[in-house]
Amino acid sequence: MQSSRVPPQLVRLILLVLLILGTYAIARVNLTPKTFGQYGHYRGAALDEAAARQLVFAGTKACNECHDETFAKLAKDRHKNVGCETCHGPSRAHARNPDVTTQKLTGEFCVRCHVADPARPAAQKQIKLHEHFPSDSCIGCHVAHQPNQSK
Amino acid sequence: MSPSPSRRRVLGLLASGLGWLASMPLARPAKAAVKNLLASAGLPPGYDPTKHQWLICMDADKCIGCGSCVDACKLENKVPQSSGYFRTWIERYIIKKPAPGSTALRGEAVVDSPNGGRRGFPPTLVPREEILKAFFVPKLCNLCEHSPCSQACPVGATFDTPDGVVLVDPTYCIGCGFCIQACPYGCRFMNPETHTAEKCTLCYHRITRGLRPACVEVCPTQARIFGDLKNPTEKDPLQEFIHKNKVFTLKPHLGTEPRVLYANIDKEVR
Repeated sequence: MQSSRVPPQLVRLILLVLLILGTYAIARVNLTPKTFGQYGHYRGAALDEAAARQLVFAGTKACNECHDETFAKLAKDRHKNVGCETCHGPSRAHARNPDVTTQKLTGEFCVRCHVADPARPAAQKQIKLHEHFPSDSCIGCHVAHQPNQSK
Repeated sequence: MSPSPSRRRVLGLLASGLGWLASMPLARPAKAAVKNLLASAGLPPGYDPTKHQWLICMDADKCIGCGSCVDACKLENKVPQSSGYFRTWIERYIIKKPAPGSTALRGEAVVDSPNGGRRGFPPTLVPREEILKAFFVPKLCNLCEHSPCSQACPVGATFDTPDGVVLVDPTYCIGCGFCIQACPYGCRFMNPETHTAEKCTLCYHRITRGLRPACVEVCPTQARIFGDLKNPTEKDPLQEFIHKNKVFTLKPHLGTEPRVLYANIDKEVR
């Protein structure tokens, strides 16, 4: 009888191993984020967090909801593929509340695309700043929404 | 010397630790409920990342180097305003003519990107008669299929999403900077405020809501072409771009398999 009993030190060892494994199992279940492994070996909720950022640019579609007249004008001319917010700046706040104005336009915006640079494609209309009516403002002669027309 | 802790005390500590662990399943939903009340929703309802495959491509022949994309990216993603932090930027390549009498095919390539090209480019110092050719190249994350940044991250904070974007989980990122060194395209930086690695997310908050990335939205010449490979539209600009152009990837010898395709770039572009 005596010899077939499990030695008490072994019982203690088995209990200790079970305790360690149990702690590990509980820790793993509880500390692994719920969405871990949803799409791959990472936290699925990270996608939600990346998508939760506030919008700053509204997108051209949102502009079209109110400014369809300007769109009609723009569609006939060379600037038809230029997005509204390229010049008018981020407009999400304006789209939600029309009292918030968009950024003030200056000739600097025209120059950013139209000043001469050897790296620009030849099809791009380019001017040399010191030769092309340096004392006048761009909109003195040009209509930004219909660049083929002049005042 | 203090007496060694009694068995009772050790067992008590162990039990309270286990109790704390066991109470976590209750604490987590409570925390999530509070978080949901405070923050706006994440992925918009109905958006399934496994049903999309986003891609952005570049046509260097169309880029005029105006810097609208760089500016828009900074504003949309609240990228640190100071120079040196960019999720996208523009490089100007000026290839010089070979020196007279030399047998070289072409001369030195002068590459600059002042402030990422955010406010356009100042006149180049290279005299016009020395220029063989010149062009702009917009750069951003190459969305590699075998992304070295994900492989280098020791904590698994960088990963590929099912819809084709490489993202950083800022709650996992420890700010070690290995990914910044690993990226062969220089597309990552350490955010000086959060001390976590940051990169282009392809405007994940916009594309999941059916909008285009901010840089694509403002590009006046459609040099950036964006689309969904899994849901091509009728006159899909991305499909058209891929079919019509002879396209390249950057540094193909590294085996990173970039998904971003470039048309009309030259051999000097890295």
